[in-house]
Order: sequence, then C-alpha cells, then structure tokens
Amino acid sequence: MLEVRGLVAGYGGGEVLHGIDLFVNEGEGVIVLGPNGHGKTTLLRAITGLLPPRAGQVLLDGKDITHWKAEAIAAAGVIHIPQGDLLFAEMTVTENLLMGAYHGPTWSERNARLGRVYELFPWLKERGGQLARTLSGGERRMLALGRGLMSKARLLLIDEPSLGLAPIITQQIYASIHKVKQGGMSLLIADENANHVAGLADRVYLLETGSLVREGPADELLRDKALLESYLG
Amino acid sequence: MSTQLVQAVWGGILFGSVYGLMALGLTLVWGAVRLLNLAHGAIFVVGSYVAYFFVSRLNLPILVALPIGVLAAAAFAYLMHLTFIRPVIGKPGFDNSTLIATVGISIAVSAAAILIFNPEYKVIPPVITGNFTVSDVQITKQGLLVIGTSLALFGLVYLFLTYTRQGMAIRAVSQQQEAASLMSIPVVRTYGMVIAISGALAGLAGVLLSPFFFLNPNSGFNPMIQALIVTIFGGLGSVRGALVAGFVLGIFESFVEVYYGVAWAQPGVFLLIILMLILRPNGLFGIGEVRRL
Repeated sequence: MLEVRGLVAGYGGGEVLHGIDLFVNEGEGVIVLGPNGHGKTTLLRAITGLLPPRAGQVLLDGKDITHWKAEAIAAAGVIHIPQGDLLFAEMTVTENLLMGAYHGPTWSERNARLGRVYELFPWLKERGGQLARTLSGGERRMLALGRGLMSKARLLLIDEPSLGLAPIITQQIYASIHKVKQGGMSLLIADENANHVAGLADRVYLLETGSLVREGPADELLRDKALLESYLG
Repeated sequence: MSTQLVQAVWGGILFGSVYGLMALGLTLVWGAVRLLNLAHGAIFVVGSYVAYFFVSRLNLPILVALPIGVLAAAAFAYLMHLTFIRPVIGKPGFDNSTLIATVGISIAVSAAAILIFNPEYKVIPPVITGNFTVSDVQITKQGLLVIGTSLALFGLVYLFLTYTRQGMAIRAVSQQQEAASLMSIPVVRTYGMVIAISGALAGLAGVLLSPFFFLNPNSGFNPMIQALIVTIFGGLGSVRGALVAGFVLGIFESFVEVYYGVAWAQPGVFLLIILMLILRPNGLFGIGEVRRL
C-alpha cells in the first residue's frame, strides 16, 4: 500500500537520506532498524509530509502523495506517531484522544473509538481528566499511541516506540502494538532494538547513514545476530 | 454609599468589561497564531463605520446594523489573514513582517475612513437607550448591555474552546502545531478562523462602545492600547487572564481617576503594570512559551 522510491531528504545544507526505496504491504509489519542518528526519524517525517522531500516519491495505493501536506496525508489514513510524543500538553487525556479523531467522524463515532482505545489502554481511562503534561513517560507514550489509533488509520508509522521507557513499560507498549497489528493494521516502525520488534516484524530494513543497506524477511534477518551486531552495535 | 464610590465601581466595571472584550480578541490571536495584531483597533473601526453607515445613510435600526458591522469586521480580519498573514506563516521573519503589516493596515484604515467619511466625530445610537441613577451616578442601560455582552462572550469563547471540536482544534494548534497537522487538523485554516473570530469581537466592541466614546478614524487606537496592556497584564494568550486583568485594571484605573484625578489614571495603570511584570514576568496567569490557551 505504501511505496517509497528514491527518497532524498535533509535539513538545511545537510542531506540525511540518500535515496530510500521501501514498501509496506497491506497488513504487513515492516521495521526499519538502525542506530540513532542514521535517519529513521527523518525518514518517517519525510513520508508523512512534516519534512518536504528533496527528491523521490511517496506513493499510497499507487497515488503520488509526495508533496501532500501533513494534514492531507493523515486524512488519507497514514498516521505518524512522532518521536517525543508531541502531546497537547495543556489538554486532558480525553481531549488529546478526541483530537486524534478530528478528521471526519461524528461525535458518536468518536466516542465509540474512544471506548476502543480505552479498552486497549485501560490506564488512559483512569487518567481521562488529567492534563497531558502531568503524565509519566509510559503514560505519555500510551496516549500518543492511543491518539494515533483514534484516527481512521490504515498504516501506522511509529517512531521508536520504546524510546526512553523502562523495560517493563516497553513490554506493555509492544504488547499493545502487537494487538493493533492482529487487528489488521499495517505498520512501519522505526526502532534501534531488534529484540523489541521480533514479534511484530514481517520484514526488516537496515538503515545506515541515510541509506537502506539490507532488506529481508524478519525471521531471517533478525536471527542473524552477527549481522545485527555489526550494524546496531 | 458615597457618590464617589459608586462612580468608581460603575466606571471600573464598565471599563473593565470593555478592556476585556478587546483583549479577548487580541489574546486569542496571540495564543493560537502567535500574532501580535496591531490592526485590532483598525478592525474595531471598520466594524463601527460599517454599522454607522447602515444606521445613518440607510436609516436601518441599530439592531440590524450591529450584526452587519460585526460580520464586516470579521470579514475584514479574514481578508487581512489571507493577504498579509497567511503568505508568511512558518517563514522566517513572520514576527517582523506581520507587525509592520498590521501597523500599515491600521494607518490605511484610518486614512480610508477620513476619505470615505470625514475626520469628524460620528454618533452611533445605543442599542438600548435610557438610564437610571444610583447615588447620583448615571447608570446607562447601554453600559449594562456592554458589561453583559462582554461577560457572555467570555463565557461563550470559553465553552467553544473547551467543548467543541473546532475550539479544541484551536487549542491543539496553539499547543503543538506539528502534532495538530498529524491529526489532520488544517492548521492554516484554523488560524484564519481564530483571526475572523477575533475580528468579530473587535467589531462588536466597536459598535457597542461608539455611543460612549464617539466614532472617529482613530477611535480604535486607545481601546487597542488598553487591550494590549490588559493582555500583557493577564498573560499573553490567556483567556482567563484577559477577563481578570480587564476588570482589575478597569477598576483600578477608575478608582485612581475618581479619587486622585484623571491625570493619574494612565500613570497609575502603567505603574501597576511595571510592578506586575517585575513580580510575574509572564503576567497574571503566566502562560510561558509552552503553556497556551
């Protein structure tokens, strides 16, 4: 459903991505593995319109969305859960979630989605009236995920789901992403830890200094400890 | 009760609600768009003159002219957004170019008002006439209407921002613009909406206040300066701050005026502001860079 061809992107005078080719099929879990600072975040930002690409193409169901605005790409169902969560700090947990469903639905549909997200993260329901800025790191990540799921997402792009979280919370986060995937969601996850994503991945790309250096089925690539070690350290 | 006290309280509440009404529009635009709209007074004037035109030239009742003036002010503000604000959103130099543009719009509006009408003072009739006296102080019904309208609008804006989808979107955009666009909230359109709402508020203030202060091509200037002071006092970007600061400053100014004379009113207000900014640099409801609307 998503196809990226020869994507080049960067900031200011610097080029971060030097021609990325990748694709995600319907219902597939695709992981981009790479160490910090090698362009994972830039890749996701360039796909979802936060950073206009310098060259290359982003196709959604064969349609060219390369130069669409972030708003339009999100409305088309490509939902980016960004690094740093970017919550609405002075809004409550519930309000944050409702904003995830800004596009399209009626209030009854929005409330129904709210119920589903609360089912996935019961924790958020208890915190419903709390301001987002008062949440802990793990709660913030759940809220960011939940907010993304409030949309009519077809493809979720998640930037380092476990960044900065304690191991036990990391486990919970990946378990909930797993549930989402079982519901049929397509995933493109940027991560730096091969162990975390083992259960989620169908296919893996290895990203090194702005280029994809390897691609393959997850059970093959993730088992190759020597290869992973040489890339991820 | 002494006449002086009643005079001070009445004047204070009336000024306070007027300042609050003007400040509400300014603070909304600052909070959401980070635009210091120095054309706010010009928009006030546009609304007033349009209402004046319909009342005096077309002989329509003020109750018909009022909504027309308000809509004209909103439309003018939105036009300003389309022509001068939108093209520079997200570009370097946004602050400088919008400051200069809004000052330019102010000058152009007052020049246009002189050309189309004339520099003389105009009278817009009050929406309700009549008055009564309390301890020898004249309480006008129009004054009560202004106070009621101002309070009601603060209530409406609060409810709008808190409970409606669009209102929440405005807060979302003001707090985390990038995330808002990832939620497919149309950021630029939301800016336009806030500016139009702010324009409507300024226009309403203009039509309602002109019976008190009369209307001339520069009559928006003073209310805007007062509103700026209120906005800074209350905390730029804070709706609650604009309400509280409007009344605090209005009542303070009125008491100084009644007990120490008109000459002390402005210096008194500025002294209060300076003290305030020393104690709380972000204003009464100190919303820093991160916490907005």
